[in-house]
Amino acid sequence: MAELTISKRQIHWQNGLKHLLLILLCVFAIFPIYWMVISSFKGQTEIFNNSLLPSSFSADNYAYALEQVDILGMTVNTFFMAISQAVLQLATAIMAAYALTRWKFPGSRVIYTLFALTWLVPIQATMIPNYTTLVNMGFRDSIVGVIIPNMASAFAILSLYPAFKSFPKALIEAGMMDKMSAPGVLFKLILPNIKSSVVSLGILLFINSWNEYFWPAMIVSDQGQATLQIGLRSFMSAELTSWGPLMAAAVLASLPILILYLLLQKQVIQSFVKWGIK
Amino acid sequence: MKKRKLVALLAAAAMFVTMGTGCMTTKATDSAGSGDGDGKTEITFYTYNLSIASQKEAAQKLIDDFNAQSDTVHVTGVAADVMTMQTKIQSDYAAGQTFDVVQCALNQVGYYVDNYKLPAFEDVAGQAAFDEHMEGFAENAKTLGQYRDGKTYVLPYTFSTPMLYYNADLFRDAGLDPDAPIETWDDVKECGLALKAAGHEGVQITATGDGYDWLIQAMIYSNGGDVMNEDHTEVTFTDPNTVGAISMWQDLVKSGAHTNYTDTEAQEAFLAGNQGMLVTTAALESGLISAAESGGWELKAAPFPSFEGKESVPTNSGSGLCIMSSDPEKQAAAWEFIKYVTSAEGYTTITSMMGYLPLRPDIVNDERYLKSWAEEHPFVHTNLAQLERLHRWEGFPGMNGGQIGTLLNQTVTKCIFTDCDVASEMQTAQSQAQDLMP
Repeated sequence: MAELTISKRQIHWQNGLKHLLLILLCVFAIFPIYWMVISSFKGQTEIFNNSLLPSSFSADNYAYALEQVDILGMTVNTFFMAISQAVLQLATAIMAAYALTRWKFPGSRVIYTLFALTWLVPIQATMIPNYTTLVNMGFRDSIVGVIIPNMASAFAILSLYPAFKSFPKALIEAGMMDKMSAPGVLFKLILPNIKSSVVSLGILLFINSWNEYFWPAMIVSDQGQATLQIGLRSFMSAELTSWGPLMAAAVLASLPILILYLLLQKQVIQSFVKWGIK
Repeated sequence: MKKRKLVALLAAAAMFVTMGTGCMTTKATDSAGSGDGDGKTEITFYTYNLSIASQKEAAQKLIDDFNAQSDTVHVTGVAADVMTMQTKIQSDYAAGQTFDVVQCALNQVGYYVDNYKLPAFEDVAGQAAFDEHMEGFAENAKTLGQYRDGKTYVLPYTFSTPMLYYNADLFRDAGLDPDAPIETWDDVKECGLALKAAGHEGVQITATGDGYDWLIQAMIYSNGGDVMNEDHTEVTFTDPNTVGAISMWQDLVKSGAHTNYTDTEAQEAFLAGNQGMLVTTAALESGLISAAESGGWELKAAPFPSFEGKESVPTNSGSGLCIMSSDPEKQAAAWEFIKYVTSAEGYTTITSMMGYLPLRPDIVNDERYLKSWAEEHPFVHTNLAQLERLHRWEGFPGMNGGQIGTLLNQTVTKCIFTDCDVASEMQTAQSQAQDLMP
């Protein structure tokens, strides 16, 4: 009986320690967001001090940020870019992974290897040819020009490939016996069964696109076509960063993605766990 | 239910297609708008000032004011992202679609002339017209955009020199007289140590890390050193005066008079009223003034300090304008625009709204331009006086020039913040840099 009590106490302590650790980690994760929010309400005199609360809450930084940058327009542009890229990358990845796993055809291994190799090519090697091509196509200064070279993603194809590969062949054969067409097998049989993988990958592709800075900044000069990441950069110069307005703009820019995260919390976490990215 | 989902999907798809088309339509309209419908020559101006929130208004005003007074030229400003600007210019050049007027750093004249077919201003405007425009320009700034052939390919535009800013309240608290002149690095060390003893931070020379090397060059030239030989074929990091300048800087840090901060940390500490002295670009001045006003402390400024027995030699940071169009009509239009933005009117806007130095110094005494502004901003006179001792911020030649600058920055940062032997570190850096020279 005594041993049992000790063991219960031990478990109690262990749980307490675990919770303490988790609370510390939560604070560690939440603190930058908290700091961003309170800094956005601080006046210029307080922006560099370490107080956890501003002496008085000022909305001046928000007024300045909204006056200088079209946050709403940039949010729409960023949503358009991120959703388009995620949907198109997902669509091309599904078809490529399906083709590579469903049929054996000459060169399929070579194609798979080439996909893997393109993933290793840095953007610096491809950006000038891509840029020149897009300019010649008339997509300079257009958000569509940002999307076109990102319509397919080697990462997405390589990520979906194992899910398609591990799908039971017997089920596909059963579908074929039921006279299902190739698209029928894909849309009615395979996709409903690997839905969670596809959705979680889609979320990850969306977040990657949302955070993209370099390529949109290359293509877009017109502020009306700019994305949020470009807008945030405008509060930083070589000489000085306007931290107050930058924090205010960052709060406004992160609101839609935070709301989305709250709505799709489970799926977002699942996607991060599944694809091993934090 | 399925039908509803399908309709919703179709509606969403339609919305996205419309948005995409909208994006493209905007572009098409822009292109159409750049035609010469009203008989004016249309040119584009690629400038990073338009992409910086605090400078956007001034940059747009310059463009709007020019457009309002010109009957023959219309300029469209294009915002350049500082991080991707070089890559974009290179890509545009490769695509055959360059902007007509481009803003570039003043240490990149060689790179631009070597890699892009820039016309010289003397050829576009004609020698007489060019000389006439340059009358009244600060003498030492006239040559900053010249190439080896003696012609001007980049016209200095936004410009600043390094200054020593200090917090008079912290000086008083440390028992120092803020009105006593701070002239030499020995004075700086003395003040830094007194500030440190009073529990404040001393000085920071904001030229560390991976930033630009313009202020490091100012330190070196001020001690009589150099970074390259006269014909720019060899780097001279082991020059005794060059090593001496860095050794003095290392001593400032070792003694505790200089903070062991990154430049950003020191800048933020100074803005918060916790750092005694900051050696930095005068382009920061308006930000420092407003931080001091709202923080309730007194800001003072002194010229870039000198080494004992020598005159200080400030360098320039900042940018110039070059013409990238190969079309003679657009080149002429670009010259008209550049003439305007570097005129007395142009510098009145640049200085009063962006905080850069007026490269036509006389306008600070002219009622029509900056006289009243200069009375409220007396530091500008200290800054202008330094132009007489100005040394060009040298860019290292060749395609690896930027890498050599970064190497110099990193080596100096290592030297000043560690106990390493400066001479031997500079020797290693010199060997590496020499291998990168063309």
